[in-house]
Amino acid sequence: MPPLSPEIQPGEEVTATAGEDRILRWYATREPLVLVVLSLMAVLFFLAVTGLSRIYYRQQDSLGERWYSRGVADLNAGHADQAVGAFHAALRYSRDNYGYQLSLAQALAALNRTDEAQAYLLNLWERKPEDGTVTLELGRIFVKKREKDQALRYYHNAIYATWADHPDNRRRAARLELVDFLLQENDQTQAQAELIALAANLPPDSPLHLRIGGLFMQVQDYEHALQQYREALTIDRRSSAAMAGAGHAAFVRGNYESAQGYLAGAVAGDPKDTESAELLHTAGLVLQMDPFRRQISASKRSRIVIEAFETAGARLKSCSPRPESGATVPTTADQETLDSRWNDLKPRITELGLRRDPDLVDSAMDLVFAIERQTRAECGGPAGADLALLLISKLHGGN
Amino acid sequence: MEIAAGTQAGGVPQPGRAPAATRPGPSSPSLLRSVFREERFFLVLSVFIGVFSGLAVVCFRFAIDWSRIYLLGSGAPSTLRLILAPSVTGLIIAMLVIHVFPQARGSGVNQTKAALYIYNGYVPLRTAIGKFITAALAIGSGHSLGPEDPSLQIGAGLASALGRRLHLSRDRMRLIAPVGAAAGLAAAFNAPISAVLFVIEEVIGRWSAGILGSVVLSAVSSVVVMRWFLGSESLFRIPPVGLVRPGELVAYAVLGVAGGLASVVFASGITTLRPRLKALPRWTQYFQPAAAGLMIGLIGVLGAPQVMGAGYEVIDQAIHGQFTWQFLGILAGLKIVATILSFVSGTPGGMFAPTLFIGAMLGAGVGDVEHLFFPHLTGSAGTYALVGMGVLFAGFLRAPMTSVFMVLEVSGNYSIILPVLVANTFAYLISRGLQPAPIFDVLTRQDGLDLPSMEELREENILRVEDAMQPATIPVLDDDQPLAEAIRQAEKSPSETLLVRMSPSGWNSITKQQIRTMISEGKGDLSLRSVLPIRQLPRLHPDQPLDIALRYVHEWPLIPVVSRANFRQMEGVISRDNVLNRYRIAQVDAKDLI
Repeated sequence: MPPLSPEIQPGEEVTATAGEDRILRWYATREPLVLVVLSLMAVLFFLAVTGLSRIYYRQQDSLGERWYSRGVADLNAGHADQAVGAFHAALRYSRDNYGYQLSLAQALAALNRTDEAQAYLLNLWERKPEDGTVTLELGRIFVKKREKDQALRYYHNAIYATWADHPDNRRRAARLELVDFLLQENDQTQAQAELIALAANLPPDSPLHLRIGGLFMQVQDYEHALQQYREALTIDRRSSAAMAGAGHAAFVRGNYESAQGYLAGAVAGDPKDTESAELLHTAGLVLQMDPFRRQISASKRSRIVIEAFETAGARLKSCSPRPESGATVPTTADQETLDSRWNDLKPRITELGLRRDPDLVDSAMDLVFAIERQTRAECGGPAGADLALLLISKLHGGN
Repeated sequence: MEIAAGTQAGGVPQPGRAPAATRPGPSSPSLLRSVFREERFFLVLSVFIGVFSGLAVVCFRFAIDWSRIYLLGSGAPSTLRLILAPSVTGLIIAMLVIHVFPQARGSGVNQTKAALYIYNGYVPLRTAIGKFITAALAIGSGHSLGPEDPSLQIGAGLASALGRRLHLSRDRMRLIAPVGAAAGLAAAFNAPISAVLFVIEEVIGRWSAGILGSVVLSAVSSVVVMRWFLGSESLFRIPPVGLVRPGELVAYAVLGVAGGLASVVFASGITTLRPRLKALPRWTQYFQPAAAGLMIGLIGVLGAPQVMGAGYEVIDQAIHGQFTWQFLGILAGLKIVATILSFVSGTPGGMFAPTLFIGAMLGAGVGDVEHLFFPHLTGSAGTYALVGMGVLFAGFLRAPMTSVFMVLEVSGNYSIILPVLVANTFAYLISRGLQPAPIFDVLTRQDGLDLPSMEELREENILRVEDAMQPATIPVLDDDQPLAEAIRQAEKSPSETLLVRMSPSGWNSITKQQIRTMISEGKGDLSLRSVLPIRQLPRLHPDQPLDIALRYVHEWPLIPVVSRANFRQMEGVISRDNVLNRYRIAQVDAKDLI
């Protein structure tokens, strides 16, 4: 290596010997002038750097925006990996840009690079803990990481956070995501609570009511579900989906007359809706085969009881006992006992007999319900008339 | 029997104080005022140096960014650019360094030290300009170097040019380069305290109010200017960091050990390869930066472009836990390789940023591995990365104080101090144990210079008076004793020189012959006090450096060493022979150690 300062000239430096006095006098006389000159130089240098910095920042902003736009386009096109590169490049020119960082985090999350995304999002959250978008993204990250407590925390924060545009819609969407997550986690109680809170403030939007109704159905809150479907029908009377939903809810709740009406409308609106058609059929059977209905004549009630008794008898015969299954059979409804009871009662179940002895209707129907429940336990879920009888038994206080 | 020098107006000698400056100074009150005027002016000038250095560093940062945009592209660089940019630019840089800016090689720290200790503060402006251009090209094209050390030299160069223009005295000229260096480093790091500490710790090597005032003023003014243009944000986005459980210090100690070993590998690579490359034929120097650039480009093409350039963005990502521990380890290793290649090839650029990079990767990596085995550890990746930066700074650059304050200043969090202290201490001790000479000292010696080693100065065993003094076997006379009685007591001692304890304080000496002569003149009844000269012996204390004794032993054959608590209580005596013997023993010991 050459010497560090070979160009040093002995005459160029001022020694501390003969020239010292001269220098000090020089300071004494010219210090103000030197300071003025230095100040002027500093101002000029400062102005020059100001000009340079404007050019620099203009270029940086332009490059940042260019790469950000490219990243957004990539992300929208589903090329999250390219979007990550573009957003990284954009951040190089605007390191603390909130939007760039958020987009990068979203792209990283789309690539399932959750740790990286989380790091960016947590930084953003520290800067703006009230930002709904960031909080929601963090909630989604923790959903992916199956960290329920953290996910709940950030989802709840997102629901009550600040949103730049359409805050109600955003909050509703966040709560809906939370409900979906809770349903995935099989936490129906928490999901139901969120749904009730959500339903309290819904806009008149039929599809939204339909969706909320469906979610209420999933958490087995049929009353609120029915309410939501009715709200949907208030907005759109012809909505087959709303009628089907309301029919289902009413059916499950045991309100077969309402169910029949809704389901009939649903099937009429959408003949391909076989599920509703089936339920409609069952609801019809329930209504037809219920001997405890009001406003039916005694002879009709007797005919219904006889039909029910025969149906139950046939079901009992078709469902032979399977000892190897090891199913526990209640002693009161033991297969043989039921068979014997059915055979004993059979001769008396006539129109005349039922008319003479009104208590026989109750006895016959009790046996019918017992047979249907027993055979369901033995032979699986019934269909058709047997199903209707089972539902009637539930309707009148059975299990 | 006149004893020269050693007394002040009050008659009490003050050997403990440094002698007054001997430079020819102003001899009249008006010139004395001028001296104060110069000191004041120097402080004002320090502010201007800070402003100019800050502006220069801002321009330097712009230049690096522009260089990167035009050489590597504004986004992720293509394979062609990754290969061509560092290698072709390396070729251009070699031409510039060999033919236009021969002083621009290296980091800039040693050059600034040389300006202080060899060239009376002279740093050619041409060197500063050359460093600006070549370092901006090198860093922008992807060479694994940083902008801090060049900024330090640019600041020193500007300050030196200003000082020459203003015809400052030699003393001021020597100081002006470090003042500019502190300004440049502070602006580059956005960390004024660390910059001041580094310059004091590694360049100047001593503390004094005059130096500290100037260095602080220049550092602060440069940072203010830099923040005006580039914003006040730290170099990295710092997540919440801290120490939750003191037991986790063990984990940081492990990081310190790893950092110490990595520092040794890094330093050994540089100190081994650099002289070998320098020994190659001169024509190869045209191609060394290009070859280094080519290899770094290949590292980039093979999947680790993160090691190219200063790497602040990558450090930022590591701090935020965005890499796996495997990748962090790979990046740390490749960065060591890339930086060694860049530096030993003579490409101008600094080692601060690469050191921080390696430390951050190593810290985050070690932290992640520790988390695998001990999931209950609470330190985040950011905490480990930050501590890791300090660890490499302490282990590689061997600036222990700066390393601690650098982390504190960058993190803005005092709660990280314990992990930093623990880890840095381990790294520093391991590095010192395995690599006795600090990297900057080795580089200096490889360049054929012998600049003072600040670490050696810090660690130097100072010989003290107590190491050379002898027990006082000679009789001590009191100044109220008559001469006749004194000679009776003196005759019992073989020593010709006798010590006299003066009242109320002080010591004097007299010889037997002098007493005999005065008795023969009929003065036997007189007290010693009445015949002794007014000027007393200097006194020494056992803890004082032996150098101080050396100033007096040539004038007095025997000097009392007294207690600091009671000046009349003698602890021993010291003579010229005692001092010289002790120095001789020390020299022999040092040779044995070598």
